Amino acid sequence: MTRLKAIAALIACLGFVAAGPAAAEVDAEKVYKFYCAQCHGLEGKGDGPNVYKDFPVSPRNFTNAAEMDKLSDADMRNVIRDGGPSVSKSPMMPPWGKTISDEEVDALVGHLRKLCACEGKKG
Amino acid sequence: MTRTIFTALLGALVLALVPGGARADAAAGEETFKGNGCMDCHYTDGPAKEKTIDDQLAKKGPELWYAGSKFQQEWLQAWLAKPEPIRPMAYNSLTEKNPADHPALSGDDVANVTEFLMGLTSDAVEAGKVKPKKNPKGRLIFTKKMPCSGCHQYESKKGLTGGLMGPTLVGAGTRLNPDWILAYLMQPEVFKPVKMMPVFVGILREKDMQNVAAYVANFK
Repeated sequence: MTRLKAIAALIACLGFVAAGPAAAEVDAEKVYKFYCAQCHGLEGKGDGPNVYKDFPVSPRNFTNAAEMDKLSDADMRNVIRDGGPSVSKSPMMPPWGKTISDEEVDALVGHLRKLCACEGKKG
Repeated sequence: MTRTIFTALLGALVLALVPGGARADAAAGEETFKGNGCMDCHYTDGPAKEKTIDDQLAKKGPELWYAGSKFQQEWLQAWLAKPEPIRPMAYNSLTEKNPADHPALSGDDVANVTEFLMGLTSDAVEAGKVKPKKNPKGRLIFTKKMPCSGCHQYESKKGLTGGLMGPTLVGAGTRLNPDWILAYLMQPEVFKPVKMMPVFVGILREKDMQNVAAYVANFK
Protein backbone atom coordinates (compact mmCIF):
# COMPACT_ATOMS: atom_id res chain seq x y z
CA MET A 1 0.00 0.00 0.00
CA THR A 2 2.73 2.45 0.97
CA ARG A 3 4.60 1.44 -2.15
CA LEU A 4 1.51 2.10 -4.26
CA LYS A 5 1.11 5.52 -2.66
CA ALA A 6 4.74 6.34 -3.43
CA ILE A 7 4.31 5.33 -7.06
CA ALA A 8 1.13 7.41 -7.31
CA ALA A 9 2.93 10.41 -5.81
CA LEU A 10 5.80 9.95 -8.25
CA ILE A 11 3.42 9.80 -11.20
CA ALA A 12 1.66 12.92 -9.97
CA CYS A 13 5.00 14.72 -9.71
CA LEU A 14 6.02 13.63 -13.19
CA GLY A 15 2.69 14.82 -14.52
CA PHE A 16 3.24 18.23 -12.93
CA VAL A 17 6.75 18.52 -14.40
CA ALA A 18 5.53 17.53 -17.85
CA ALA A 19 2.78 20.15 -17.76
CA GLY A 20 5.33 22.77 -16.77
CA PRO A 21 4.97 25.32 -14.02
CA ALA A 22 2.02 27.38 -15.24
CA ALA A 23 3.09 27.20 -18.91
CA ALA A 24 3.00 30.83 -20.05
CA GLU A 25 -0.61 31.27 -21.02
CA VAL A 26 -1.30 33.44 -24.04
CA ASP A 27 -3.52 36.44 -23.36
CA ALA A 28 -5.45 36.28 -26.62
CA GLU A 29 -7.22 39.60 -26.12
CA LYS A 30 -3.94 41.38 -25.49
CA VAL A 31 -2.37 39.84 -28.60
CA TYR A 32 -5.47 40.77 -30.62
CA LYS A 33 -5.45 44.37 -29.42
CA PHE A 34 -1.75 44.77 -30.11
CA TYR A 35 -1.54 43.32 -33.63
CA CYS A 36 -5.02 43.02 -35.10
CA ALA A 37 -7.08 45.89 -33.70
CA GLN A 38 -5.13 48.48 -35.66
CA CYS A 39 -7.14 47.39 -38.74
CA HIS A 40 -9.93 45.19 -37.41
CA GLY A 41 -10.88 47.46 -34.52
CA LEU A 42 -10.90 46.89 -30.78
CA GLU A 43 -14.24 45.11 -30.94
CA GLY A 44 -13.47 43.34 -34.22
CA LYS A 45 -15.89 45.28 -36.38
CA GLY A 46 -13.33 46.00 -39.11
CA ASP A 47 -13.06 49.64 -38.14
CA GLY A 48 -9.54 50.08 -36.72
CA PRO A 49 -7.71 53.41 -36.87
CA ASN A 50 -5.79 52.34 -39.97
CA VAL A 51 -8.95 52.17 -42.04
CA TYR A 52 -8.59 55.54 -43.73
CA LYS A 53 -11.02 56.80 -46.33
CA ASP A 54 -9.31 55.20 -49.34
CA PHE A 55 -8.20 52.00 -47.59
CA PRO A 56 -8.30 49.56 -50.51
CA VAL A 57 -10.32 46.85 -48.75
CA SER A 58 -12.69 46.47 -45.83
CA PRO A 59 -10.93 44.58 -43.05
CA ARG A 60 -13.01 41.62 -41.99
CA ASN A 61 -15.74 42.27 -39.46
CA PHE A 62 -15.24 39.47 -36.95
CA THR A 63 -18.65 40.04 -35.43
CA ASN A 64 -20.35 39.02 -38.69
CA ALA A 65 -21.19 35.43 -37.78
CA ALA A 66 -22.58 34.57 -41.22
CA GLU A 67 -19.28 35.46 -42.92
CA MET A 68 -17.09 34.05 -40.17
CA ASP A 69 -18.99 30.77 -40.26
CA LYS A 70 -17.66 30.20 -43.79
CA LEU A 71 -14.12 29.92 -42.41
CA SER A 72 -12.66 26.92 -40.64
CA ASP A 73 -10.17 27.38 -37.82
CA ALA A 74 -7.48 26.13 -40.22
CA ASP A 75 -8.47 28.84 -42.76
CA MET A 76 -8.03 31.45 -40.07
CA ARG A 77 -4.67 30.08 -38.98
CA ASN A 78 -3.48 30.17 -42.59
CA VAL A 79 -4.53 33.73 -43.25
CA ILE A 80 -3.05 34.97 -39.98
CA ARG A 81 0.27 33.23 -40.66
CA ASP A 82 0.58 33.77 -44.41
CA GLY A 83 -1.50 36.86 -45.10
CA GLY A 84 -4.44 37.66 -47.36
CA PRO A 85 -2.96 36.41 -50.64
CA SER A 86 -2.66 32.88 -49.18
CA VAL A 87 -6.45 32.67 -49.41
CA SER A 88 -6.82 34.86 -52.51
CA LYS A 89 -7.59 37.92 -50.40
CA SER A 90 -5.93 41.32 -50.16
CA PRO A 91 -2.23 41.74 -49.33
CA MET A 92 -3.37 44.44 -46.92
CA MET A 93 -3.78 41.54 -44.50
CA PRO A 94 -0.14 41.00 -43.51
CA PRO A 95 1.60 37.66 -43.09
CA TRP A 96 2.10 37.44 -39.32
CA GLY A 97 3.79 34.04 -39.29
CA LYS A 98 7.25 35.46 -38.58
CA THR A 99 5.92 37.78 -35.88
CA ILE A 100 3.36 35.84 -33.88
CA SER A 101 4.04 32.41 -32.36
CA ASP A 102 1.91 29.36 -33.22
CA GLU A 103 0.50 29.42 -29.70
CA GLU A 104 -0.53 33.05 -30.16
CA VAL A 105 -2.11 32.24 -33.53
CA ASP A 106 -4.14 29.44 -31.93
CA ALA A 107 -5.19 31.78 -29.13
CA LEU A 108 -6.20 34.42 -31.69
CA VAL A 109 -8.38 31.93 -33.53
CA GLY A 110 -10.14 31.22 -30.24
CA HIS A 111 -10.57 34.94 -29.62
CA LEU A 112 -12.05 35.49 -33.09
CA ARG A 113 -14.53 32.69 -32.44
CA LYS A 114 -15.59 34.53 -29.31
CA LEU A 115 -16.03 37.75 -31.29
CA CYS A 116 -18.20 36.08 -33.92
CA ALA A 117 -19.90 33.74 -31.46
CA CYS A 118 -19.72 31.11 -34.16
CA GLU A 119 -18.02 27.76 -34.61
CA GLY A 120 -17.05 28.03 -38.26
CA LYS A 121 -16.74 25.48 -41.00
CA LYS A 122 -15.52 22.14 -39.76
CA GLY A 123 -12.52 20.36 -41.23
CA MET B 1 48.87 90.90 -40.53
CA THR B 2 49.48 87.54 -42.22
CA ARG B 3 49.06 85.87 -38.86
CA THR B 4 45.70 87.58 -38.29
CA ILE B 5 44.40 86.46 -41.68
CA PHE B 6 45.64 82.92 -40.99
CA THR B 7 43.90 82.84 -37.62
CA ALA B 8 40.66 84.14 -39.12
CA LEU B 9 40.78 81.54 -41.89
CA LEU B 10 41.49 78.78 -39.40
CA GLY B 11 38.56 79.91 -37.25
CA ALA B 12 36.24 79.96 -40.25
CA LEU B 13 37.41 76.48 -41.24
CA VAL B 14 36.72 75.10 -37.76
CA LEU B 15 33.25 76.65 -37.75
CA ALA B 16 32.54 75.20 -41.18
CA LEU B 17 33.58 71.73 -40.09
CA VAL B 18 31.57 71.65 -36.88
CA PRO B 19 28.09 70.34 -37.74
CA GLY B 20 25.23 72.59 -36.75
CA GLY B 21 27.44 75.64 -36.38
CA ALA B 22 29.50 76.51 -33.37
CA ARG B 23 30.68 74.08 -30.73
CA ALA B 24 27.82 71.61 -30.33
CA ASP B 25 28.51 69.79 -27.10
CA ALA B 26 27.25 66.22 -26.72
CA ALA B 27 27.93 66.13 -22.97
CA ALA B 28 25.92 69.32 -22.47
CA GLY B 29 23.25 67.81 -24.70
CA GLU B 30 23.06 64.71 -22.54
CA GLU B 31 22.75 66.89 -19.45
CA THR B 32 19.90 68.84 -21.06
CA PHE B 33 18.25 65.62 -22.21
CA LYS B 34 18.27 64.19 -18.71
CA GLY B 35 17.49 67.47 -16.99
CA ASN B 36 14.48 68.14 -19.17
CA GLY B 37 12.90 64.80 -18.32
CA CYS B 38 13.29 63.36 -21.82
CA MET B 39 14.18 60.03 -20.19
CA ASP B 40 10.61 59.81 -18.88
CA CYS B 41 9.55 58.80 -22.40
CA HIS B 42 12.75 57.82 -24.24
CA TYR B 43 15.51 55.46 -23.19
CA THR B 44 18.96 55.97 -24.62
CA ASP B 45 20.91 52.94 -23.43
CA GLY B 46 20.74 49.93 -25.71
CA PRO B 47 20.32 47.16 -26.50
CA ALA B 48 16.55 46.96 -26.78
CA LYS B 49 14.84 46.19 -23.48
CA GLU B 50 11.34 45.15 -24.60
CA LYS B 51 10.57 41.45 -24.31
CA THR B 52 6.77 41.39 -24.08
CA ILE B 53 3.78 43.32 -25.35
CA ASP B 54 3.44 44.79 -21.86
CA ASP B 55 7.02 46.07 -22.05
CA GLN B 56 6.25 47.83 -25.31
CA LEU B 57 2.95 49.23 -24.08
CA ALA B 58 4.63 50.60 -20.95
CA LYS B 59 6.77 52.91 -23.09
CA LYS B 60 5.58 56.48 -23.53
CA GLY B 61 7.73 57.20 -26.58
CA PRO B 62 10.18 55.61 -28.97
CA GLU B 63 13.54 54.35 -27.81
CA LEU B 64 16.44 56.56 -28.89
CA TRP B 65 19.46 54.39 -28.19
CA TYR B 66 20.20 54.17 -31.92
CA ALA B 67 19.00 57.69 -32.85
CA GLY B 68 22.32 58.51 -34.54
CA SER B 69 21.91 55.53 -36.85
CA LYS B 70 18.25 56.18 -37.54
CA PHE B 71 17.94 59.90 -38.14
CA GLN B 72 19.56 62.44 -40.39
CA GLN B 73 21.31 65.11 -38.35
CA GLU B 74 19.95 68.13 -40.18
CA TRP B 75 16.38 66.85 -39.84
CA LEU B 76 16.83 66.00 -36.15
CA GLN B 77 18.17 69.42 -35.33
CA ALA B 78 15.30 71.16 -37.10
CA TRP B 79 12.76 68.83 -35.48
CA LEU B 80 14.02 69.35 -31.95
CA ALA B 81 13.57 73.10 -32.40
CA LYS B 82 10.14 72.71 -33.93
CA PRO B 83 8.67 69.26 -33.30
CA GLU B 84 5.77 68.13 -35.44
CA PRO B 85 3.94 64.81 -35.10
CA ILE B 86 5.63 61.87 -36.78
CA ARG B 87 2.91 59.45 -35.72
CA PRO B 88 -0.67 60.45 -36.56
CA MET B 89 -1.84 58.53 -33.46
CA ALA B 90 -0.55 59.01 -29.91
CA TYR B 91 2.23 56.55 -29.07
CA ASN B 92 0.85 53.05 -28.44
CA SER B 93 -2.74 54.29 -28.69
CA LEU B 94 -5.50 52.96 -30.92
CA THR B 95 -7.93 55.66 -29.98
CA GLU B 96 -6.11 58.95 -29.27
CA LYS B 97 -4.75 61.22 -31.96
CA ASN B 98 -1.20 62.48 -31.47
CA PRO B 99 -1.66 65.52 -29.22
CA ALA B 100 1.25 67.27 -30.96
CA ASP B 101 2.59 68.45 -27.64
CA HIS B 102 6.22 67.29 -27.82
CA PRO B 103 8.36 69.88 -26.03
CA ALA B 104 10.63 72.02 -28.21
CA LEU B 105 14.22 72.95 -27.47
CA SER B 106 15.78 76.34 -28.06
CA GLY B 107 19.14 78.08 -28.09
CA ASP B 108 22.27 75.98 -27.68
CA ASP B 109 20.19 73.04 -26.41
CA VAL B 110 19.07 72.26 -29.95
CA ALA B 111 22.57 71.64 -31.32
CA ASN B 112 23.79 70.05 -28.11
CA VAL B 113 20.98 67.53 -27.80
CA THR B 114 21.28 66.79 -31.51
CA GLU B 115 24.98 66.11 -31.00
CA PHE B 116 24.22 63.83 -28.06
CA LEU B 117 21.54 61.87 -29.91
CA MET B 118 23.56 61.55 -33.11
CA GLY B 119 26.29 59.93 -31.03
CA LEU B 120 23.95 57.07 -30.11
CA THR B 121 24.48 54.48 -32.80
CA SER B 122 24.00 50.78 -33.49
CA ASP B 123 26.58 48.49 -35.04
CA ALA B 124 23.75 46.67 -36.82
CA VAL B 125 23.45 49.52 -39.31
CA GLU B 126 25.92 49.05 -42.14
CA ALA B 127 26.80 52.27 -43.95
CA GLY B 128 26.57 52.62 -47.71
CA LYS B 129 24.12 49.77 -48.40
CA VAL B 130 21.15 51.85 -49.62
CA LYS B 131 20.96 54.75 -52.02
CA PRO B 132 17.61 56.53 -52.15
CA LYS B 133 16.06 55.77 -55.49
CA LYS B 134 12.63 55.64 -57.09
CA ASN B 135 12.50 52.05 -58.23
CA PRO B 136 9.55 50.07 -59.59
CA LYS B 137 10.35 46.91 -57.61
CA GLY B 138 10.41 48.76 -54.30
CA ARG B 139 7.25 50.67 -55.22
CA LEU B 140 5.44 47.47 -56.18
CA ILE B 141 6.28 45.80 -52.89
CA PHE B 142 5.45 48.90 -50.83
CA THR B 143 2.20 49.80 -52.54
CA LYS B 144 0.82 46.47 -53.77
CA LYS B 145 2.46 43.25 -52.66
CA MET B 146 2.92 44.06 -48.99
CA PRO B 147 0.64 45.94 -46.60
CA CYS B 148 3.06 48.80 -45.81
CA SER B 149 0.56 51.51 -46.74
CA GLY B 150 -1.98 49.97 -44.38
CA CYS B 151 -0.16 51.58 -41.46
CA HIS B 152 2.15 54.23 -42.94
CA GLN B 153 1.15 57.46 -44.62
CA TYR B 154 3.02 58.60 -47.70
CA GLU B 155 2.48 60.95 -50.63
CA SER B 156 1.16 59.00 -53.59
CA LYS B 157 0.43 60.45 -57.02
CA LYS B 158 -3.11 61.03 -55.79
CA GLY B 159 -1.99 62.79 -52.62
CA LEU B 160 -1.61 61.79 -48.99
CA THR B 161 -2.65 58.21 -48.34
CA GLY B 162 -1.98 55.37 -45.92
CA GLY B 163 -2.96 54.19 -42.45
CA LEU B 164 -2.49 55.99 -39.17
CA MET B 165 -0.93 53.52 -36.73
CA GLY B 166 2.65 53.60 -37.95
CA PRO B 167 5.00 56.57 -38.13
CA THR B 168 4.32 58.64 -41.23
CA LEU B 169 6.72 58.10 -44.08
CA VAL B 170 6.03 61.51 -45.55
CA GLY B 171 9.45 63.14 -45.56
CA ALA B 172 11.21 59.84 -44.77
CA GLY B 173 13.87 60.85 -47.29
CA THR B 174 14.99 63.72 -45.12
CA ARG B 175 14.23 62.12 -41.74
CA LEU B 176 15.62 58.60 -41.92
CA ASN B 177 19.02 57.17 -42.68
CA PRO B 178 18.45 54.91 -45.73
CA ASP B 179 20.82 52.30 -44.29
CA TRP B 180 18.80 52.21 -41.07
CA ILE B 181 15.59 51.47 -42.99
CA LEU B 182 17.25 48.39 -44.46
CA ALA B 183 18.78 47.32 -41.15
CA TYR B 184 15.40 47.70 -39.47
CA LEU B 185 13.73 45.49 -42.07
CA MET B 186 16.49 42.90 -41.91
CA GLN B 187 17.03 42.79 -38.16
CA PRO B 188 13.89 44.15 -36.51
CA GLU B 189 14.65 42.22 -33.32
CA VAL B 190 17.70 44.43 -32.74
CA PHE B 191 15.73 47.67 -32.82
CA LYS B 192 12.15 46.79 -31.92
CA PRO B 193 11.78 43.24 -30.64
CA VAL B 194 8.07 43.75 -29.89
CA LYS B 195 6.17 45.95 -32.29
CA MET B 196 2.90 46.25 -34.15
CA MET B 197 4.62 45.98 -37.53
CA PRO B 198 5.00 42.49 -39.01
CA VAL B 199 8.43 40.90 -39.33
CA PHE B 200 9.30 40.49 -43.01
CA VAL B 201 12.46 38.45 -42.51
CA GLY B 202 11.90 35.15 -44.30
CA ILE B 203 9.10 36.70 -46.35
CA LEU B 204 11.01 39.33 -48.34
CA ARG B 205 14.47 38.64 -49.71
CA GLU B 206 17.34 40.99 -48.87
CA LYS B 207 17.24 42.40 -52.39
CA ASP B 208 13.52 43.16 -51.97
CA MET B 209 14.24 44.90 -48.69
CA GLN B 210 16.97 46.94 -50.33
CA ASN B 211 14.54 48.04 -53.02
CA VAL B 212 11.88 48.96 -50.45
CA ALA B 213 14.43 50.84 -48.34
CA ALA B 214 15.65 52.76 -51.41
CA TYR B 215 12.05 53.56 -52.36
CA VAL B 216 11.07 54.77 -48.89
CA ALA B 217 14.31 56.73 -48.55
CA ASN B 218 13.19 58.64 -51.60
CA PHE B 219 9.93 59.89 -50.02
CA LYS B 220 9.59 63.65 -49.89
